[in-house]
Amino acid sequence: MTPRFKQAWRRALRKGASLRSPTRRSSRGIRPENIVWIFGTGRSGSTWLGSMMGGLEGCAMWNEPLVGNLFGNFHYFRVGGRKSGRQYILGEPYKETWLGPMRDLVLGGAAVRFPEVAEDGYLVIKEPNGSIGAPLLMEALPESRMIFLIRDPRDVVASSMYARNEEGWLSGRRDAQRPASKPDRNPNVYVRMRANSYVQQIEKTRQAYRAYGGRKVLVRYEDLRADTLRTMKRIYSTLEVPVEEAELARSVEKHSWENIPEEEKGEGKKRRKAKPGGWREDLSARQAEIVEDITAPLMNEFYPHTATMRGAL
Amino acid sequence: MMPTAEETGGMRPENLVWVFGTARTGSSWLSAIMGETGGYSRWHEPLVGHLFGNLYYERAGHRSEDEHFILGGRYRDLWLDTLRRFVLDSAAARFPEVAARDGGYLIIKEPQGSMGAPLLMEALPESRMILLVRDPRDVVASNLDAHKEGTWTADLMRKGGKEKPRSLAESRPDAFVKGQARRYVRDVGNAKNAYDAHGGGKVLVRYEDLRADTLKTMKRIYSTLEIPVKEAELARSVEKHSWEKIPAEQKGEGKFHRKAKPGGWREDLTPEQAEIVEVVAGSLLRELYPVRSTA
Repeated sequence: MTPRFKQAWRRALRKGASLRSPTRRSSRGIRPENIVWIFGTGRSGSTWLGSMMGGLEGCAMWNEPLVGNLFGNFHYFRVGGRKSGRQYILGEPYKETWLGPMRDLVLGGAAVRFPEVAEDGYLVIKEPNGSIGAPLLMEALPESRMIFLIRDPRDVVASSMYARNEEGWLSGRRDAQRPASKPDRNPNVYVRMRANSYVQQIEKTRQAYRAYGGRKVLVRYEDLRADTLRTMKRIYSTLEVPVEEAELARSVEKHSWENIPEEEKGEGKKRRKAKPGGWREDLSARQAEIVEDITAPLMNEFYPHTATMRGAL
Repeated sequence: MMPTAEETGGMRPENLVWVFGTARTGSSWLSAIMGETGGYSRWHEPLVGHLFGNLYYERAGHRSEDEHFILGGRYRDLWLDTLRRFVLDSAAARFPEVAARDGGYLIIKEPQGSMGAPLLMEALPESRMILLVRDPRDVVASNLDAHKEGTWTADLMRKGGKEKPRSLAESRPDAFVKGQARRYVRDVGNAKNAYDAHGGGKVLVRYEDLRADTLKTMKRIYSTLEIPVKEAELARSVEKHSWEKIPAEQKGEGKFHRKAKPGGWREDLTPEQAEIVEVVAGSLLRELYPVRSTA
């Protein structure tokens, strides 16, 4: 640990202690510093990454609690100009009164669900669809660790579109969707909507990542696919989470694409193709352009050398 | 375990009075009357009901039995406890004068958080509840006017630094009416469910009764909820907030105070629009207004 990092870490611990509720100082709880968040966006490989990490000895995975969605969606997108006022429940002047309960909600919820990792174990919280609340969660739990998982937005949109088609594995949720935004009814409208939600989620994850003083790592899905074990080692060493290399290698192998039975992968399945750049086969030229236009600043930042429909970025 | 008064800055849950219903039912008026009498304060739309209710009932409704979901059924007591403490801590921090005063009451005006009323009343079973309802046709008519161009809602957005986009109220008024009727069903339906389930102090108030005889209805509210009020003080507050005391330039079409006229929907909605509301909100309309006529 560098001295600068040590200093930031001590600051984070002090801040966390100030948020700790006396009613939740349980000796059998999950240690906040042993929580590892995975933020980003849906369809970016977070289930795969979470499974590899959560399957290790002394580790568990909390699969999408949506606690980030609970607070973030409301706070950032629904209340408009009321944030600074006295009345609004998540008002800035009263931050201490709501960051504490938010922290308790996570730690209390983790303790009852995962008693097997209390005290010394690690809990990986896979929360891509709660990434909208990442800045708030990282502020409420400043000692915890953070993975920012990102994937080419065109592949994310293509994967989401196939999941929500009539034959897709998420088709059961179609009733709740507006007819106009069903991907097979109006694909371009869906593409636009999903690209916009990608921007919202990734921007909030980036905001949290930049502001966060604790242990954190940025991971590209494409790197994870290209050399899984190497990327996993980088994650563990950057986050300073101890891991046995042989065990990690076994977990990587167990969860590899090749070890998924044929009948569990392919079109319409949750595991579809896991192929970086597969968007070229899935999206029309117009759809790819829509995604590129909407996500251009993020693509520039995270995929600066990628080719687009209109040439290099 | 529920927190003690010390842990919540002294705010007593039984001294919270929630006003649920939906927007444009007269909740600002009612809560202003109540919040200005001695020993009472008003919390204007914290939106805590919306915060929890929107995720629980709408966005993640399909996950209520999923044990990984933060608001999952298996760990209900745990998150209701957090919700309870969240409200009490927040109330105590904002209204220390109520927490400190023996016999102080906090009126929480929460029409737009009514979706989460069942969760809030379950988390705070000692608190009191006013279910404020209004004929859905008048509610929709009021919203239709409020969302037209250049009205008070645009001013409100401008204050928050945003320009109000063109509303469906202008471009597709019938679709707007249908959407508002659905919102009425969601808000008032959930508030009514909370009211039916609540074992503590509660009272159902019709806006129309409040308009017809304000003081009498206000006295009924206080006596049913069993909370003290000085009659002379209440009468003064009723008088101060009466429709007649609002300056003429602050009321009328496009204003926050529009017409306050029960049955005004007949002048505001087309017969087709009234019928849309009656179809969508028919069940609640029949239950809450059994002797009213329809379009």
